[in-house]
Formats: sequence, C-alpha cells, structure tokens
Amino acid sequence: MFTCKESVELLMSFLDGELAPDEEQKLEEHLQACPPCVDFLRTYRATPSLCRRALSRQMPQELADRLTDFLRQKCKK
Amino acid sequence: MAELETTERIADADRELLARAQAGDMSAFEALVELHRDKVYGLALRMTRSDADAAEITQDTFLSAYQHLKDFRGEAAFGSWVHRIAANNALMRLRHRSVVKAAEEEFKGPEFNEQGSLAEYPASDWSRRADEQALDAELRNAIQQATDRLPEAYREVFLLKDVEGLSYEQISEITGDSVPAIKSRLHRARLFLREAIDNFYNEK
Repeated sequence: MFTCKESVELLMSFLDGELAPDEEQKLEEHLQACPPCVDFLRTYRATPSLCRRALSRQMPQELADRLTDFLRQKCKK
Repeated sequence: MAELETTERIADADRELLARAQAGDMSAFEALVELHRDKVYGLALRMTRSDADAAEITQDTFLSAYQHLKDFRGEAAFGSWVHRIAANNALMRLRHRSVVKAAEEEFKGPEFNEQGSLAEYPASDWSRRADEQALDAELRNAIQQATDRLPEAYREVFLLKDVEGLSYEQISEITGDSVPAIKSRLHRARLFLREAIDNFYNEK
C-alpha cells in the first residue's frame, strides 16, 4: 500500500484519470484507510476553482472606454 | 448543465457577431470585444501583475484579432482564440522583462514524517467553501499573495491551466515546455496553493 507521500504525488494523475490500473487500486486502498488523505484530496481538488474565483478581475470602465477608443482609431479603414 | 447551456449561448452569439464583424460590421466587432474584454484583461493582469501592461496587452490582443478576423475560420470559439492570443502576448512580455525570482525555500508543499505520513493533517475540510457564493476578502488576499510567491515558471503554468483553462497541449505550444514538465510544475503549484489556503483556514 502507498504511503501518504506517495499518494499525494499521484493526486493530479488520479484526478486526470491517467493512473495505471495497479497504481489506481493502490491509491484507492490507501484512501480507504487514511481519512487525512481523503481530506487532502478534497482540498487539493477544490484549490483550482477557489483560486480561479479569488483571482477573477473585471476591466475598470475607464480602461474599457479607452480600449473602445483605441480600437475605433486603429481599425479605421 | 446550466453552465454548459450558458457557454453554448455565448458561442452562438459569438458566431453571429463574428460573421457580421468579418463582413466589416465594426459594431459587431465592438460587441465581441465587450463580451470578452474582462476575460482577456483578467488574464493579462494576473500574468503580468501590472495594470499598464494588462491594458496594453488587451489593446494589442483585440487589435491583432481584428487584423486577423478574415483568417479566423471558427474551428475554435472566438473567446478561446482571443484568450490564446492574450496568453501569448502576456508570456512574451514576461519573457522580455527581468522577473524577480521567488525564493525557492518559500515554495513548500505538505510536510510528511519519516514514515511518509502527513505530519500535519488538515484541521478542516474546507473544500465545500470553494462553492460558496461570497468569497472572503481576506481569503482572496491570501490566495493572491500565495500566487505571487510562486516561482515564475510555476505561476505561469498554474494561471494558464487552472485559472485560464488552457489545455496542456496549448500551454506547451505557447511556452515551448514539454507536457510532463508542465504537469509536474502544475502539481507543485497546486500543492503550494492548497497549503496556503489550508494555513488561512487553520489560522482563522
């Protein structure tokens, strides 16, 4: 059976569905016996969407207006 | 499901506007810009961390899109197309800039004991909070700071894949790095950011 360290190294491949069948089986065995690793997997999986939301930005209206002016000027025939 | 329907509606609207813009209708092109400018600007700002660079990259991206409108055959969605132009522009700008390298010793993942077990177990499973409607301003700040501390090559890959949604192959094409190298960096970046979020929740 894998250790926590070995399991954590395989999490991305596991979530991408890219593990070999024997690796996947060993990882699942580890997860069944290790609640901290299950929490780790859940929080690892949640990290990208949480970051995506935290890092979202809107263009300030003033910049958006400048962009429109810029494109009108440059895109003139 | 609802997200998929929204995406399809946007793609339909894009196709109609694109056809009109390709026929020379400037107002249709402006409508496309309005639909996609936040995404392009957001990408440029996250990548360069400079308002001025982000504004210029956004301008250059849409100007380039306009100049190549006739060549665009619509195999991909218009949004993905301008997104990739913006990613290319942002990366080129980063490569021409001397970047302050993050200290590698700060770049840590989870800690294990000698037996390879997790030495510090997550005190809480905060994964469900990722779906909560409002995002704590302090958490937003902690994530921003942690992302800034990532070494540049890791930050780029994380932003392009997990925030901007590009595929491994698209990132490989833009950065010139191999897919295995990209995956390895992405995993390390996710571990580091997971750790930062974990620390945030455990210190609260």
